[in-house]
Amino acid sequence: MQRESSQGYLTRAPRSSGLADVLEILLDRGLVIDAYVRVSLVGIELLTVDLRVVIASVDTYLRFAEAVNRLDLRAVDDSKSVPDLFEKGGEEVAETKTKGAVEGGMDAIKEKMGLGSRSDDDDDDDKEQSGSGSRSRGNNQ
Amino acid sequence: MSRLYLYGITRPREVPQRLADQGVFLVDSEHRSVVVSELGQVDNGGPVEATRRNLLAHADVVEQLHQDAVVLPARFGYVLESHEEALELLELPEIEQLLDRHERTCELTLRGRYEESVLAEVGAGLQPLRDAYRAEPSVEVGIALGEAVGERLAARRARDQSLVLDELRPLVLDIAVGEPAGEFAVFDLALLVERGRVERIEARLEELAARLSPPIHFKLVGPLPPYSFVRLGMPAVA
Repeated sequence: MQRESSQGYLTRAPRSSGLADVLEILLDRGLVIDAYVRVSLVGIELLTVDLRVVIASVDTYLRFAEAVNRLDLRAVDDSKSVPDLFEKGGEEVAETKTKGAVEGGMDAIKEKMGLGSRSDDDDDDDKEQSGSGSRSRGNNQ
Repeated sequence: MSRLYLYGITRPREVPQRLADQGVFLVDSEHRSVVVSELGQVDNGGPVEATRRNLLAHADVVEQLHQDAVVLPARFGYVLESHEEALELLELPEIEQLLDRHERTCELTLRGRYEESVLAEVGAGLQPLRDAYRAEPSVEVGIALGEAVGERLAARRARDQSLVLDELRPLVLDIAVGEPAGEFAVFDLALLVERGRVERIEARLEELAARLSPPIHFKLVGPLPPYSFVRLGMPAVA
């Protein structure tokens, strides 16, 4: 249940419907009452850390470099600008690896939580952080 | 005596029928109530499993209750041994302060994300490195260029985040700044706002989103219970 503004830059959702929203909100926020109650949080702190990983890797840098050139050169000259590295399909590999790292984390979490077997519309929401374009499954890497 | 799963804390009230049918009930003291359900047969004596079903059920209960009145949502996974333990919880002095503070508040979460085209913009000042990469497209030069792009992107992110925060501060009661996740993420904010001001804030955000260049895609979720503003021992905001 989402809608977009007329310009398309604001997406609205009235409630935390997606699993990603709920995971982050319920595992990371909310009333914490250590002194008084028996806490039953096993492994959850670790899971939330995984969710927050910002990728900073060689793959990312190479993809940035490639993207800067590609975005810049569209109108100029594309004859000799494509580096060897990417001619062999390296562009796709770099992209796949990086997204794989993000989504692999999510998959691991789902697996741990026994969520992997369910198919659900909400899951679309979970991956929007990892970028746009074609998606590849991280667990094949 | 069954153990009790804790959803949150509220003021004494009727529980909506839909939630009552699912076993949700209140343990009341005079002016405060704990929202719980009995674990009963599903209780294995250990932790409550963080399954999709359980997480969504927790969110559903606190969000439904929050539609009508104040709720202090608990973090997922707390189990109370008894009614007595629930009543003890209500005696914490900070609970009363938090219930007062959130009498008419709600939380909006706001995330911002760049399009990939932001890289063209931050790469504009890196001509020498780009020329070098074009002349010698090695991994080393690629990493040097990519790192420079990454640094500029981080600076852009910091600038845009503070710009958005400056716009928002006059409109909201409080802001919790999270760590943006993902390489194109710009910010991850939780806004504490008065319930009556949600539409106005939404309109301002729409206007702000349309004005920014390079474009930032905003995602606004809420009104939610004040998940990010119920820390015990948190200093009261003036």
